[in-house]
Amino acid sequence: MAIHEKTLIDPDRILQHDHLVIDGVDVSGSWNTMISPRTLTDYDDGFEKVIQSYAGAENVHRCWQCGSCTNSCTMYAQNVDFNPRYWIYLIRLGLKAELLKDKDIIWQCVSCNKCTNICPKDVRPEGVMKATAHWLEENGLIAKTRSTMFDEEFTEQCIEYGRIEDTEVMVGFFKKSGQPLVQAWIVEFGKRLTKHLPLSQLTKMGMNVVFRPKTKSWGKTGEVLAEYVKAQKEAAHHG
Amino acid sequence: MSAQDTVLVVGSGPAGLSAAATVAAMGKKAVLVEKEDVLGGAPIISGYAKLVPSGEWAKDAIGRMVSRVEGDGNIAIHKQTKVSKLDGEAGSFTATLSDGKTVKAGSVVLATGFTHFDSINKPEWGFGTYEDVLTTTQMEQMVSSGQIRCPSDGRVPERVAILLCVGSRDRQIGREWCSKICCTVSTNLAMEIKEISPQTDVFIYYMDIRTFGLYEDKFYWKSQEEFKTKFVKARIAEVTKSPDGRLLVKGEDTLVKRPIVIPMDIVVHAIGMDPSLENPEIAKIFGVGLEKHGFIDKAEQYTNSQGTTRKGIYVCGAATGPDDIDSSIAQGQSAGARAVADLHGRQKVAV
Repeated sequence: MAIHEKTLIDPDRILQHDHLVIDGVDVSGSWNTMISPRTLTDYDDGFEKVIQSYAGAENVHRCWQCGSCTNSCTMYAQNVDFNPRYWIYLIRLGLKAELLKDKDIIWQCVSCNKCTNICPKDVRPEGVMKATAHWLEENGLIAKTRSTMFDEEFTEQCIEYGRIEDTEVMVGFFKKSGQPLVQAWIVEFGKRLTKHLPLSQLTKMGMNVVFRPKTKSWGKTGEVLAEYVKAQKEAAHHG
Repeated sequence: MSAQDTVLVVGSGPAGLSAAATVAAMGKKAVLVEKEDVLGGAPIISGYAKLVPSGEWAKDAIGRMVSRVEGDGNIAIHKQTKVSKLDGEAGSFTATLSDGKTVKAGSVVLATGFTHFDSINKPEWGFGTYEDVLTTTQMEQMVSSGQIRCPSDGRVPERVAILLCVGSRDRQIGREWCSKICCTVSTNLAMEIKEISPQTDVFIYYMDIRTFGLYEDKFYWKSQEEFKTKFVKARIAEVTKSPDGRLLVKGEDTLVKRPIVIPMDIVVHAIGMDPSLENPEIAKIFGVGLEKHGFIDKAEQYTNSQGTTRKGIYVCGAATGPDDIDSSIAQGQSAGARAVADLHGRQKVAV
């Protein structure tokens, strides 16, 4: 069955001259509209496997396209471009370029899990949405989210010092996410801390910021840990 | 009757009637035990309309099978009776019936059938909530009555939606099988509805259409081409009610990639075939195994195709998994013949 759905036409395939006169007839604007055909030329055979290597997407191969996920989807009710059923289809066939057209909304999944509860094949579409968002982010196809930036700062400090320092994490996170270090609420927060915290505690915090102590006998632990995490990631996504 | 000339047949649906008739035709005696007070099984008890693929009314077609058995001197019939105990072994079983009588039989044929899926287990599709949501069995009864009307207020429906795979092919409720006949039954039902009520449009909501074998053109194509049944590739999310009293069918039309909220007057659940609710009891009494979905397990597939996991006990029809009436009848003949072979003591079966 042909799909006569106007919104399925990509804007960049609509050809139209604002001013055009042919043989003396003015066919400006929509009178001369043409739509260039879209041809899918290949499948990325390994793509499904790549997505499956991210936690939550293990069952994506089970999908038979019934559309129960999309039906039940909280986000679909807000925006019909948010279509898990369609994305799962693209993932399974390896139509990466099509999937990337929606890259900026896939992260919007709110994890209500209605899809996962209704899916007759137990595909767990919510997990697929999360996995896809992670894949997009890890491959630099969408901007890093703030939560990822926070996680990175947190992890970096853990690996480096074997511990975190709250002030340092916040400063690092603000730097990474391009937020000003001086914000009204932080100033207020600082003021109240100074007012209510015992002097000894304040001094300790200040010293920690200046001297950045490591956990006792941390030694090479951080390096080993970093290597292990890297190896695990590689094994999961490129194995 | 001695054990050596008798086969015990349990259940009198198409498979059991066929098995009993086969045993009698081969010159042996059959004892037919039926728990209900009528013979004929699901097609009669649930009041099926016209059968697939013959187009004959169930009460006529199955009725003929019933009278063949009732009129046969070699067949003893026990209605409203169950087997409560089975002693002995292949060649010399003794069955104790619920009325206290005993039957000696050389072999046993189980034709204990299935249970219709109970739509209450899929509450999002409105059965039990809205009067105009029905099952295929109920719709068949309506067709048999010769009038298509909304149960709520008796109006003639403008639109009827049939939802396929209700209680089949659904991991969420542990139904990991295709019930095999619902697609064909539904396309047939769509034609019957249109025939009785030409102003009614019928829509079938499907994930796949499985009108297997020769049912393809005779039912699927005919329904689409001649009776204008509309096929929509969508699994419905929920059935609700609009303020004007009509039902609303909500889902995604996966082919146009758009949400749908369509008003309907009647919604029909194409219910699947569950293992008989009594299978655990049957397994215990007869000492046979069940397969992973809960149907009666079969022996070695190729040399003992109607065998169960116990020697001397055979099985046929929907007791072994979803099946249509024609196959059930064929299996009944097969099981009956095999059971008679046991009476001759010539069996060399793999179990």
